[in-house]
Amino acid sequence: MERWTIEDVAQNPERRQLAAELLWQLADDDLLMGFRDQEWLGLAPHIEEDVAFGSIGQEEIGHAALYFGILERLGFGTADDLASLRSVSERRNSVLIEQPNGPGHYLESPRYEWAWTIVRHYLHDVWEMALLTALTGSVFEPLGDAAEKILREKRYHLAHQELWMRTMAGHDADSRVRLEDAWRRAQDWAGDLADLGPYSSALESAGLCPGVDSVVRHYHERVAEMARVLGLPEMRMQTRENGRRGEHTEALQQALDTLSEVYRLDPTANW
Amino acid sequence: MDERLDFDVYEVFAQSDSLSPHVHVFNVLASSPDMAMALAEENFFRRAEFVSLWVVRRDQIHQIGFHDREGFQKTPKAYRTTDDYKYLRDKWRYYRDHPMNPDGSPAAGGTVDGTMDD
Repeated sequence: MERWTIEDVAQNPERRQLAAELLWQLADDDLLMGFRDQEWLGLAPHIEEDVAFGSIGQEEIGHAALYFGILERLGFGTADDLASLRSVSERRNSVLIEQPNGPGHYLESPRYEWAWTIVRHYLHDVWEMALLTALTGSVFEPLGDAAEKILREKRYHLAHQELWMRTMAGHDADSRVRLEDAWRRAQDWAGDLADLGPYSSALESAGLCPGVDSVVRHYHERVAEMARVLGLPEMRMQTRENGRRGEHTEALQQALDTLSEVYRLDPTANW
Repeated sequence: MDERLDFDVYEVFAQSDSLSPHVHVFNVLASSPDMAMALAEENFFRRAEFVSLWVVRRDQIHQIGFHDREGFQKTPKAYRTTDDYKYLRDKWRYYRDHPMNPDGSPAAGGTVDGTMDD
């Protein structure tokens, strides 16, 4: 099978632009997911969960760093700049991922919602798992290698979210209501999650992402199976803005302001 | 607000390799055995390796403690333990230093197990 190295892609403008379209989505999803996870530090339901969830968030940031690292090697600028300095319209994460964890602010009376956090993270994990499984067969070798590496941690992230979903579904009336409410709200944001954007068919025909249709189908099947097992309504995913096309909500600007606040003070500083 | 505690303490036992026994390592607060396993792994085994992990709800562990031992006091019988045979070591040492001929007379050299030291 033909495999592209960094040089093969960096020196071919068409391949380079196409690979980047996919990498922005992967990197931005994980960066924002990791950021929202980290906002739970000190607030998670109990101390053991705080440690567990904090580690998951840290790994999301680590995955984003891997993707941004590939973009850096393709000549798009340093990974830190790409993570911190790109504007909202340049971001390609799903709008579901950028939504806050709940009302309030991290520093002032956070009224974050655990059920919402878990449901949203669950959808992200199912999507990324389906996508990465396909990307292990990508023609772009560094991307295939990154997918193999990240999948090892992704399986366990997904197991963690599924366990919490089962726990909330079966624990008591209150947890059940919260889960159902979060499930219903997620479907109004998740429309752009399992979407590779305007370059979807080009990504497939170039071999960058093999089998796009089956990736999307896998994602929907797994979510539908979970709904069936837990007795939740079928999820009809839709969204007003499409993050894969650079359309975002107010929440993204707020997240980026906080995320890159220190970095922007002096991007040339050596930390 | 109705404060409930839906959590139990689970004691965690880990086996570091297939030839070692499970050893108690710590405990976690969790709402189910599944959750206890996940949290044990996430909190303590993200770097360390194990081949098998047991979680046991603490109230499922039945214990004989320090204060329940009256009825199980042992009669001291030193000959049941190796401690009572420590003098043998000195005896071996003495005969190594003082080798004998088969008739019991002192030998000119060598050791009791037959190897010669010259």
